[in-house]
Amino acid sequence: MRHRDDVLAGEGMLPVLPALRELLPGGGLSRGSVVTSGGFGLLSLVLVAGAVADGAWCAVVGVPAVGMRAAVEAGVDPDRVVLIADPGPRWPQVVASLLDGFDIVLLCPPDQPSAQLRRKLEAAARRYDSVLVIAGDWPGAQSRLLVAHAEWAGIGVGYGRLRARLAQVVATGRGAGERPRAAWLWLPGADGAVTAAAAAASGSLVTGGRAAATDAPDLARLASSG
Amino acid sequence: MTRQAGARVLVLRCPDLLAEDAARAFEPVVAVVEEFCPHVEVLRPGVCAIPARGPARYFGGEVELASRLAAAVSLGGFGGQVGIADGLFAAGLAARTGPAGLVVPPGKTPEFLAGFPVGVLGIPELTALLPRLGIETLGQLAELPPADAVSRFGPSGELAVRLARGLDPRPLIPRPPPADLSAAMEFDPPAGQSEPVIFAAKALADQMHDRLAAGGYGCVRVRVEVHYSGGAQVSRLWRHDGLLSALAVAERVRWQLDGRPGGQAATGDDAEVGGVTLLRLIPDQLVRATGRQLALWGDAVVTDRVARAAIRVQAMLGHDRVTRPVLAGGRRPAEQVLFVPFGDSEVPQRPADRPWPGQIPAPAPAVVYPVPRSASVTDSVGEVVSVGGRAGLSAAPALLAVEGGPACPVTAWAGPWPVTQRWWDPPRSCRQARFQLRTDDGRAWLAVLQEGHWVIEASYD
Repeated sequence: MRHRDDVLAGEGMLPVLPALRELLPGGGLSRGSVVTSGGFGLLSLVLVAGAVADGAWCAVVGVPAVGMRAAVEAGVDPDRVVLIADPGPRWPQVVASLLDGFDIVLLCPPDQPSAQLRRKLEAAARRYDSVLVIAGDWPGAQSRLLVAHAEWAGIGVGYGRLRARLAQVVATGRGAGERPRAAWLWLPGADGAVTAAAAAASGSLVTGGRAAATDAPDLARLASSG
Repeated sequence: MTRQAGARVLVLRCPDLLAEDAARAFEPVVAVVEEFCPHVEVLRPGVCAIPARGPARYFGGEVELASRLAAAVSLGGFGGQVGIADGLFAAGLAARTGPAGLVVPPGKTPEFLAGFPVGVLGIPELTALLPRLGIETLGQLAELPPADAVSRFGPSGELAVRLARGLDPRPLIPRPPPADLSAAMEFDPPAGQSEPVIFAAKALADQMHDRLAAGGYGCVRVRVEVHYSGGAQVSRLWRHDGLLSALAVAERVRWQLDGRPGGQAATGDDAEVGGVTLLRLIPDQLVRATGRQLALWGDAVVTDRVARAAIRVQAMLGHDRVTRPVLAGGRRPAEQVLFVPFGDSEVPQRPADRPWPGQIPAPAPAVVYPVPRSASVTDSVGEVVSVGGRAGLSAAPALLAVEGGPACPVTAWAGPWPVTQRWWDPPRSCRQARFQLRTDDGRAWLAVLQEGHWVIEASYD
């Protein structure tokens, strides 16, 4: 059994899925930091999946519509997730309490927090060595990830079904010197797992029937534009 | 060892309240049963037992007692099955027989039991073995000489034969009214600070544990009641399972005081709330103390730090608002996850590892709306798209508008996939046609058409 302390102990870093490594400075979620993922979506869940699969505990706050099955397909262990769908008006206190105990708090802020409040929660994350993942905007975040382009594949006009989504994720860091990084991902891939798209984009994924025939050129165009 | 038939026992079973988390809803039912006979034993949530002899004499017969009890329970809005037989085991089976349960006349219990398969014994090591030896019913098992059963099957064999013959292995253990086991302290003048209250809580918890231990009970949960001089009263249930020390109970009292209405801990000068005037600890859901150490958490080992943080937030928001996701089976995305309050355990009624034909295959949507959002799906001339009796589509979907928002062009779509759920149960059955829609803003949706209305059940980001 893994405990809080032996998750990459000493490195101050929580692991992420291999596909996301090159997007984050240091190749993981650095403890005590704040990371944003744009509005709540699969990217928010995928950001925490690597760490939770590795034994970290995650609290999801303010997301009543969390798709747990998608999270599980992305690698999240549901036994290590606690949900607080509605944290109420005292949500900053709730988040601060959770940061002391959980390795990751995935928060969709119910209202726009003031700069003072943001600093308080950032300080709490630093003090307890936790990671605050924000589904939304957070001016002081160390890293910002965003889905820049996305295209669902496998579905046609009246046939097929949603099979996979090719997405370009762009990461920007704090400070002017940091150059934006971008990666093409299957977000999600055919079985729900998230993988880097470089190898898969050649068309091995979307197989069988008319869906492949119509969508493959489309995807090739998408991939080459990135 | 006594060879007599078990005493007459009445078992009440509420099929709607069998889930673990229904224990709280079951309490009022137990209160109703207590009016018939104060010696109630709660066997598990949704099932309780009383000795039948006394009340039956009072109400003029067992059949009369059963119908009166069922009527009293149904007044509370729950369906109840009542079974009466010799011994707890047979009475439990009688309660499950037929929609309203069954009264087995005195002395007829062995005949009643004879037809049941051995599986009902609930002794796993025997119920697999006995049918292979040609013993398939309790009647056949009852014919075995007890001595042979012991030598062949061990102690569980003896138990099985006794049960099959309608001899009960143990008497009823009625629960005393919980009030007798509670511990309370008044504060005069009202305690403005939390510290003296928490200090008193430790002593009260010791008292409560002593009283429980003296009666041979454990409690599943402990209710902490705090009265304030401003008139407010805050009452919370905390998971106990016999695992909390007095200090741990006191810590929960502290959390509860921290999360009290209107503010921070330990100030007490809040004019509206006032100081604490009374603290009471009441054991909830008494069970026989079996020395069992329950795992608080299934398989994953919850670290103290995680549990403390989660319970702390429960103190602020309420027990039910901090949940753990449990995967369940189902066709709709919202059915596939149950949210179980932190600290409670629940086995999903619909296991996830069964095939659910009609389930949308992976990948699953990342956003699943707890309440489906209304939507409108129209074709190229602005007519709402509809589905005919044989899953024929009126026209191709062209525009999607979610909750009155701006209409988005649909770039690709798939469906309809008809789903008829629970056709065997008319009030709960439903016929739906499901679609996946891709819109030109890069998003994709799981849309459902039911009785002419479009809703969005989930979004693929």
